[in-house]
Amino acid sequence: MTDAAATAATIAPVIVNEVPRRRRPPLGMAFGILWLVTIILLTVLADFLPFVRGATQAPRGASNYAFGPGVDFWFGSDRLGRDVFARCVYGARISLIIAVTSIAIGLVVGTALGMLTGYFRGWIDRVVSIFVDSLLAFPAIILAALVVGRAGALRESDIQVLGLGFTWLSNAWAITAVFAVLSVAPITRIVRAQTLSLSQREYVLAARSLGARTPRILVREILPNVVPVLVSVLFTGVAILLAAEAGLAFLGYSVEPPQASWGLMVTENREFIDEAWWATLFPCLMLFLTVLSFNLIGDRVARKFDIREAAL
Amino acid sequence: MLLEVTDLRTSFRTPRGTVKAVDGVSFTLDRGRALGIVGESGSGKTVLSRSVMGLLVGSNLERTGSIRFEGEETIDRTARQMRDLWGAEMSMIFQDPMTSLNPLMKIGKQITEPLHAHLGLSKSDALATAEQLLRDVRIPEAGRRLKQYPHELSGGMRQRVMIAIALACGPALVFADEPTTALDVTVQSQILELIGVQRRERNMSVILVTHDLGVVAGHTDEIAVMYGGRLVEKAPTRQLFANMKMPYTEALLASIPKLEDRSHTRLTTIPGRPPDLVNPPAGCPFSPRCAYVRDRCRAEAPPLTPAEDAGHVFACWYPVGSPEYHERRAELGDAAPAAAPGADGEVAS
Repeated sequence: MTDAAATAATIAPVIVNEVPRRRRPPLGMAFGILWLVTIILLTVLADFLPFVRGATQAPRGASNYAFGPGVDFWFGSDRLGRDVFARCVYGARISLIIAVTSIAIGLVVGTALGMLTGYFRGWIDRVVSIFVDSLLAFPAIILAALVVGRAGALRESDIQVLGLGFTWLSNAWAITAVFAVLSVAPITRIVRAQTLSLSQREYVLAARSLGARTPRILVREILPNVVPVLVSVLFTGVAILLAAEAGLAFLGYSVEPPQASWGLMVTENREFIDEAWWATLFPCLMLFLTVLSFNLIGDRVARKFDIREAAL
Repeated sequence: MLLEVTDLRTSFRTPRGTVKAVDGVSFTLDRGRALGIVGESGSGKTVLSRSVMGLLVGSNLERTGSIRFEGEETIDRTARQMRDLWGAEMSMIFQDPMTSLNPLMKIGKQITEPLHAHLGLSKSDALATAEQLLRDVRIPEAGRRLKQYPHELSGGMRQRVMIAIALACGPALVFADEPTTALDVTVQSQILELIGVQRRERNMSVILVTHDLGVVAGHTDEIAVMYGGRLVEKAPTRQLFANMKMPYTEALLASIPKLEDRSHTRLTTIPGRPPDLVNPPAGCPFSPRCAYVRDRCRAEAPPLTPAEDAGHVFACWYPVGSPEYHERRAELGDAAPAAAPGADGEVAS
């Protein structure tokens, strides 16, 4: 029996089942994706879903005051009688739009700057590096508070640039702008470092030796190889900015009531935490789970690209 | 005359001082011929090939001399002006096939890009040409390979792809910078054979840069030995192996293990290290390591002098075969480098 098996084994090509040594189900990843999909669906469809109440519902008198979580108000209602669940959903909309928009701007600008400085070096590298370094050295929260604080004054002034006033400049836009500028700095650094190393790779030299022009080397040879890093930066960056926005909102430098944002909800309701803990807890929980999801996915993605790099 | 390099000097300014990586090198190359450039690490052979091609960049770079390609001076051209030559007229096969292909681009795309850029071929024409090129470099299932990524191919296969890319636009001159160093021995000879076949078929010239005398022995018409950024000996391949003049060449040859040696024979090495190119030794650059060194070697650098056979030049005051050489060799006895001069032209690789 064993002999026969041994013979068969020697004759037949040995097929080794490729069982990874540690096969951990990607629970974190699964949870992260599930949570984010839910949140995104909720925020996008909030206006059409029957179970999400209007975000800025007018107070309805004492009858709704600080109801606990239950069938009627899933996450309870706050002291103005507003549905905490609905406000969480609309808060998610604002928080996510701010975080994603500013990271997107940061990625575009940061990647462009990083690739230019990393590839050409020289004076452009020096100039940009000075800006990046000062930006990184400047306390972010003070910069953000300063800009958002002054944005209000700018909005109410009648200063015009190119014939346009600043009435559109809501706090949300101001925060997005600050976050975009703030995220440019680390992304530029990361991309610059990556480009410095990539531009010394032989395939870049090989492309040059075949007569490739500089723009195409940047776009075809270097950019695709920077993207894996950018994807993990994207997820981690959104997570950081979500938390930062909540922090600013908590300090009162974010969207203004009656608009909702998770941080704003926390700061509005924290004085009444004894009477209505749900109004503070649920926004915190939402923030926590969303940041966690982004981090879990970002980690996973980063590791995935790492393995790919190692296999090359 | 396809390529005429005269007194090429390439140096880099560094915080430590000026590195004279290539120090007054001259050679010529006819169309269809193969020149081997041999030397150990740091002898300047890679810098020489890149600087002939004009690929080096940097504000700390200084390049003087003359490089005439197809009769035209190219040394004062900018990268922008050289770009039309790169790929189309001269191209380079790199050392490590693992890193010289873009990991995120399909093979087909990487071959067709220069075809688009230089020859202006349409997409389908370029793909057909690419497939033919892959067949020329003996890659099986060429059509399928076009759609694969570099990581799906073996090292030897990738080097073949590199060769196909380098040959794509039919260049007149191909630099092969240690094309076989990263490959195992059986694949090495196949690749060298392939480069030779393509050279003869396309009547192009090849400059084969390597540290391995065995590699150049069977695949070149002429060999130039470099040491410390200088050309120290140059001769037609057969003459060089039959009648080497420079003790360095001799030592290099002696350090190749030989099949007929008894087992446990100690490998012959050249003592010492390659010269510091910032402060090169006075006199002959090889003098600190040479077994036959004399006072004159340390004081005066020997010029390139012609040997008795045609096309053979060497830079040595007391070349292999001179009375002083024999005198010192007798003194050294067994300690002398083992390669006897006058070995027949074929060298076991």
